[in-house]
Amino acid sequence: MARLGRSLMASLLLGSLMTTSAFAQGAMTDVGTPRAETLIVQTFDGRAANPSAQNPLNSYAIWRGFRELGWGYLWEMDTATGKSYPEMADGMPEVLNPEHTQFRIKIRPGITWSDGVEFTTDDIIFSLDTAFKYREKLTNVASVTVYLKSYKKIDDYTFEVETVNPSYDLTTRLGVYTWGTPFNWVPKHVFEPLGDDVVSFQNAPPVTLGPYKVKEFDPNGFWQLWELRDDWQKSSWGNLGTPKPKFILYKDFGAEETRALAFVQNQYDVDTFMSPDSIDAAKARNPKVETFSSTFPYHDMNDACSYGVYINQQRAPYDMPEVRWALALSLNLSQVGISAMSGQFKAAALPLPDTPITGPIFYQANLQALQDLTIGDGYKPFDADFSTTLAETLKEQGIDPALLPTGDAVNAGFGMGWWKHDPAEAEKLLASVGINKGADGFYALPDGSPWVIEFVIPGDWNKVLQRLGFSIADSWRQAGFNVNARQVDNGEYTTVQNTNARNELQINWSNTCVYNSNWLGNWNQFRESNILPADSTNPLSGNYARITDPEVLDLVAEGAALPLDDPKFVENGQKIAMQIASEMQIINLMNIPTTIPTNSTYWTNFPKQDNFYAAPYTWWSSFKKTVVTIEPTGQQ
Amino acid sequence: MGVLRYVAKRLGLYLAVLFIGLTITFMLPRLMPTNPVDGYIGQLQSRANGTLTSEAIAEMRTNLEQLYGLNGNIFSQYASYMKRVLIDFDFGPSFTYYPQPVSAMILNALPWTLGLLLTATFIAWVLGNMVGLVAGYFHKQRAASILEFLGILLYPIPYYILAVTVLLLLAYVFPIFPLSPTFPVGQLTPEKIGMILYNSLLPGITLVLAGFGWNILSMKALAVATTEEPYVVYARLKGASNWTRMMSYVFRNALLPQVTALALSLGMVFNGALLTEMIFSYPGIGLIMRTAATGGDYNVLYGAITLSIIAVATAGLVIDLIYPLLDPRIRHK
Repeated sequence: MARLGRSLMASLLLGSLMTTSAFAQGAMTDVGTPRAETLIVQTFDGRAANPSAQNPLNSYAIWRGFRELGWGYLWEMDTATGKSYPEMADGMPEVLNPEHTQFRIKIRPGITWSDGVEFTTDDIIFSLDTAFKYREKLTNVASVTVYLKSYKKIDDYTFEVETVNPSYDLTTRLGVYTWGTPFNWVPKHVFEPLGDDVVSFQNAPPVTLGPYKVKEFDPNGFWQLWELRDDWQKSSWGNLGTPKPKFILYKDFGAEETRALAFVQNQYDVDTFMSPDSIDAAKARNPKVETFSSTFPYHDMNDACSYGVYINQQRAPYDMPEVRWALALSLNLSQVGISAMSGQFKAAALPLPDTPITGPIFYQANLQALQDLTIGDGYKPFDADFSTTLAETLKEQGIDPALLPTGDAVNAGFGMGWWKHDPAEAEKLLASVGINKGADGFYALPDGSPWVIEFVIPGDWNKVLQRLGFSIADSWRQAGFNVNARQVDNGEYTTVQNTNARNELQINWSNTCVYNSNWLGNWNQFRESNILPADSTNPLSGNYARITDPEVLDLVAEGAALPLDDPKFVENGQKIAMQIASEMQIINLMNIPTTIPTNSTYWTNFPKQDNFYAAPYTWWSSFKKTVVTIEPTGQQ
Repeated sequence: MGVLRYVAKRLGLYLAVLFIGLTITFMLPRLMPTNPVDGYIGQLQSRANGTLTSEAIAEMRTNLEQLYGLNGNIFSQYASYMKRVLIDFDFGPSFTYYPQPVSAMILNALPWTLGLLLTATFIAWVLGNMVGLVAGYFHKQRAASILEFLGILLYPIPYYILAVTVLLLLAYVFPIFPLSPTFPVGQLTPEKIGMILYNSLLPGITLVLAGFGWNILSMKALAVATTEEPYVVYARLKGASNWTRMMSYVFRNALLPQVTALALSLGMVFNGALLTEMIFSYPGIGLIMRTAATGGDYNVLYGAITLSIIAVATAGLVIDLIYPLLDPRIRHK
């Protein structure tokens, strides 16, 4: 017994010495790799509950670097410009018929899987065969089985596909749109011998196409270590540049408090959504901690989606545009943004984010129309000076003027404008449809009965939206709306989103995701088939914004039959955005702010506002651009 | 015969508790306002940047309902659930992480939870009761008040505050322990066991501190009351030493409620320690249960709650069965 005790104590001390010395010397990581050669990033989803699920044909532990480092795509997206470019494909697809349903695709010869076997069209045909054969049992293949009608191999490096419908977005359907692709290629030589077991195959560790391969992963789901392949030049994006880190470690550093402390101690290099308060605290203790922008707002605003209040327009009284407009004009976005986001937000009036890519296409193009827009008795609701006023307010509240943007940077930072805050005009609009305030100071329905608005917002699982939601409800209450802001868990949130009978107002982002001129990927959901009766308890399969406006539906249907580079296609997108805004079908709020602080102790040249070579997210497939662009600092 | 009847009665009660518990477990997740199919599709839709078409979503919904076994009526689902759980002890695949088997998820997480919580609960119980006993037995002495103060100080501190304070002190201000541990993988070696123990010490310390205070206070109260009992006074008058009176007269009699509390808290260990897992990045079953509850992952909930019900009910049964050994009054009845 005494011997056992001594052994345990010795082991304990040894473990303690090993771990502490690793950090004390700053030479090795706690997974045994040289720190100077290891890029360490916080995982997007924290801890994975299924770390050994690595088969992309089913749901898998995606947030461990697979999308960025492991898989290979026919076409990838340059997130700095929003343009698609060939990755494993040898050029863009060749269109074979005027209906735009048949395509010939060539792949680059010489690409190999991480076990050295060459990637050919046999892998592509096998992946598609598997998807179709097991379409009822594999859970991550429906995107391709409903999209493709047929496919065939021409030779080892050429294949042809036929789509069910005319398709102008093949490169993003069989490749990447913004942060990933819904379908991945699998190695025939690994999967084929499995036969029917392919449906439950874990695929851990996987044979991959990217320049990195899985070296080790934690079966408890906290970390995964990737190692650069010796033959990385033969990998799917070996032609992009030299990947700088020899190792990349995805690790969950725990709750935000722990993460901030670990960041100060230089234990990792890139975070995800650390709150502004924690970043401030970390920056104060470690000058190597940097925000995305050096001036206000400090955070990244380039996400592909935007936050908005989605209104169930199929239910009274929200079926009246006057009511929707009254809600928008009663919402003091400036106050909401200052109280919920410390003023670090970029307002977006149209139903999509306002980024350097979408700004010129949708916002600049519609700016005059927004300024000329009139509602009710000729009232002009757009406030083009929103950002200037916001900057002034922030200055008055004590923000150092040197940190605030000036000139054109004001609109670039805070947006091109938003709706006026005018509760008096809102009251007029409501009175015009018989809605007036009752004795309790709250608006009542036209028949005099109480009007309690149910506003569904996320609980702790999305703290930014939770804070925003409460702030918006507060703003509406001040204007006389009796609002019940109901926090829900993510499971219930999705059910409310999908079910008409349970949906009234919800803060959401799922139908306001447009990253470039291709608006169809997301707004294609605005279709007749995605409209259910107002009291339906059946789940929707899209169109969570409940767009029923025939004008929007027609524009979408027309756009779906147009080439993506046709000026008419882009024009339709601009019109859809303006139509949704002018009828206030979605009260769009702002770009999604993502903080993405970095620590430049070991690595430098991360994407920043003034060095925007790629979106800064470590969980987007475009992270590969960061991997080949960062530089080691030489810190050992 | 009396003993047999006693045991049979307790066993009957145990089985009834299990049956009712399992039935409630089946019903409860279905009353939640969540739909696991929508949750799964939501995940995939998010990963595809909202580009999954309505046709793809409709196809997925049909397939998932089939794969999850949610197609039949509620009675056939209940019968199949009871058969799977009671006869095969199989909880099927996780809905959120389909096709990952629930048993694999639980079996992977449970040893970590049990290792940490059983050890910490037991140490906190032993230390707390010892300190509480001394503080209660010598309650008229100043030193006893200091011991009691320790309990009063620790007990009301919310666990989250306590854990973050300990973390700040022992991993940041004095970096003795890692802020977020990295548990080694692969074949266990003495070196790796050492790293696991070292990495588990910090969460272990906070759990002991958190459980310690209650044990001190409750044992102290019991010991004070027992010290005044006539049989303890009688023992003192007979010349029994302090040690004998404290251990054989006071401790033994004050122990019964504490044993019950220990057994029940050991049963609760199966629920995991969500906050500990989150703050210390410690693997365990708490986070899995939370994810399952929020995502409507019925099968994972069935697996985890069933284990918890069995553990708590078994702990109750064990207490019932060992009570007669600890307390002669029950034995003689």
